[in-house]
Amino acid sequence: MRIAAALALMLLLSPVARAHVASNGFLVVQVHGQQLNGSIELAVRDVELAIGVDANRDGKVTWGELRAGAPRLMQYVAQHLSIGAQGSSCAISFQTLEVNERVDGNYAWLPFTARCPRSVQQLSIRYRLMDDIDPSHRGLLTLTDGATAQTAVLGGNGAPALFRVDAPSRWRAFVEYLQAGIWHIWSGIDHLLFLLSLLLPAVLLRRNGHWEPVPRVRPAFFSILKVVTAFTLAHSITLSLAALDVVRLPSRLTESVIAASIIVAALNNIFPLVTESRARIAFAFGLLHGFGFASVLADMGLPQGARLLSLLAFNLGIETGQLAVVLTVMPIVYALRSGAAYRRAIMPWGSAVIAAVALVWLVQRALFPTG
Amino acid sequence: MFAITTSRPRMIRGRLSDWRLLCVLLPGMLQVGVAWSEPSVPGSDAQVLAELPVGARHQSTPARELTRTRLELALPLAQFYVSRSRATGDLRYLGYAEAMLQPWMRQSSVPPAVLVLDATILQSRHAFDAALGLLDRALQLQPDNAQAWLTRATVLRVLGRYDEAMASCARLALQADASITVLCTQSLRGLTGHLPAAYAALVSMPQQGLAAEARAWRYSELGEMAERQGDDQAAEHWFREGLQLAPEDFYMRAACADLLLRQRRAAETLQLLAGFESMEPMLLRIVVAQQLLGDGRSARDRAMLTAAFDVEQQRGEAVHRREQARFLLDVEQQPEAALAAAQENWRVQREPDDVLILLRTAQAAHRPQAALPALLFMQQARLEDVRLEPYRQELR
Repeated sequence: MRIAAALALMLLLSPVARAHVASNGFLVVQVHGQQLNGSIELAVRDVELAIGVDANRDGKVTWGELRAGAPRLMQYVAQHLSIGAQGSSCAISFQTLEVNERVDGNYAWLPFTARCPRSVQQLSIRYRLMDDIDPSHRGLLTLTDGATAQTAVLGGNGAPALFRVDAPSRWRAFVEYLQAGIWHIWSGIDHLLFLLSLLLPAVLLRRNGHWEPVPRVRPAFFSILKVVTAFTLAHSITLSLAALDVVRLPSRLTESVIAASIIVAALNNIFPLVTESRARIAFAFGLLHGFGFASVLADMGLPQGARLLSLLAFNLGIETGQLAVVLTVMPIVYALRSGAAYRRAIMPWGSAVIAAVALVWLVQRALFPTG
Repeated sequence: MFAITTSRPRMIRGRLSDWRLLCVLLPGMLQVGVAWSEPSVPGSDAQVLAELPVGARHQSTPARELTRTRLELALPLAQFYVSRSRATGDLRYLGYAEAMLQPWMRQSSVPPAVLVLDATILQSRHAFDAALGLLDRALQLQPDNAQAWLTRATVLRVLGRYDEAMASCARLALQADASITVLCTQSLRGLTGHLPAAYAALVSMPQQGLAAEARAWRYSELGEMAERQGDDQAAEHWFREGLQLAPEDFYMRAACADLLLRQRRAAETLQLLAGFESMEPMLLRIVVAQQLLGDGRSARDRAMLTAAFDVEQQRGEAVHRREQARFLLDVEQQPEAALAAAQENWRVQREPDDVLILLRTAQAAHRPQAALPALLFMQQARLEDVRLEPYRQELR
């Protein structure tokens, strides 16, 4: 982020030039089944015209003044922007106001979510923001639905604009959720570290309080197979239960326990307590990791009509990503296993680093949840 | 894939490293196109987010209601907004003016003054055909509306329909001040094969009793005529005189900047345009000057211009298409894209500068065929302009 800091400095040094453009609002809507995620952005100058936020009337709008006007802004947007699915309206709820800088100045950025009565097939948007104050104001819409994006210019006549959102084909849903699963295991570094903690000792045997390299591929292979299978089985169970709304756990709890599970698995490599049946650890904690995966899926939502298929695809994606990691890591650790460095340095110190990282997560997630 | 990564960037932020955050956010930024940065919460309540220009304050509902019922309030306010837009290049003012007129435009019998002012707004938005429609409506109701004839002449001139423009000037002669009629007709003669004579007529035009606007208009015409005749020194003299009289006349300022840039006087261009950075046409000329000087500051300004043109394109408007073509040609060095923009511009307007950009881009893109409409136009109108000659020679 050093580049960003340098840029910000340059802006302070040079007089900021503003390009004059006509008045635009920026509406972003992402469709996920019944759920819409989005944001609406209005120039601070337009917000002033619409609802009047310059409380001390000094001709300048400060962040404090804008923030104080946030409830009225939300009310104004709610009155002038309506979104519906197949004729029935979606309930919009706004999140916290932020500020975004654009070519022609600062914009009030208001994120929202909306819940539609049914899975969206035809989206209607009635955009009347600023229509009586500046008839040339337009809403520039970016609508995304899965991998397809469409743009449109809204406003100017008061009639609702209609958009066809393709009911996701089963194949497309499958691919999308498969990709999401792979992406999540790749980006969900906590799951990878947990798996790695269990895999590091899989190429070793514990004898008389000492680690020894496994003599042949076969036992290492089976040891890994057992661990990975147990982990997969366990998280598949809880992922399915959570995704289908059978069981629900607060994310603060699951996220914290996932962090704790990494610490336990990593410490077990340094101070071995469980050496023979790591598959059981994998299973027990795998149950919790399943809830973690489920929270990602909850954000995406499962498409109507393809719930089970999408769940299966997401799960397969996770397994694919996981398998790729295992296939990459295992030959390396197998090749390194005989050297003293592996047993004395890589495994204990690697595990220590993993445990330390997980400890930071544990503190963060348990004490300072981001919501 | 995008939908997943961009849907909840903030939720996963806490767990992602910076570079990965960038990967997640980048597609979103590209999608929206014109965002500079990512939304954030300002550090302090005292941070100023916007300075409100004149007339951009929230109006209470009762105050707005008054302008709906009383034309003597709505009309001057709308006029004020239009003049602010002219002086600052701020397109939002046109919208405010439109809002003042909107309730009146919806009435069954629209007052001619409202029609004419709305036509002026449409003209500023380069919606020339719609503007002509309103002007004709106004003139049907009030055939002696001098302002309507003058605006009509101006619009037709921009469209290159010189004969019709001349006819409008002639109608003006019956109602308006003789000096306005002289300006109207001589400026057209200067574009249609009588340049030296028209120039001489404007030079010797008596200035006593001339309104400030008319004097500024005369300087602007004289400057452009001198430039088209190849007398850059005289042109600069007229422009500078005119800008002293009317510093807010940004058409004249842009024309003067172009004259300086053509002579590669970049530093003087920057001096001339200092303080006018907020207008897209001015910013373009600043960036061109910065490039001539090898000034690294232009990167941010370039990005800003690109973003502004993108938004305009997305809105389906063509207010600054000529500038966009020039930007693509001179700054971005994309002759093909520049030609496409110049061709689109040519469909909307036909001033000498529009001829120039079409010839230049056609030449740069090695597509002489594309210059044909402009060459034909020059021939038919008998347009004289030394700036066009080198391209004309080569493209033939």
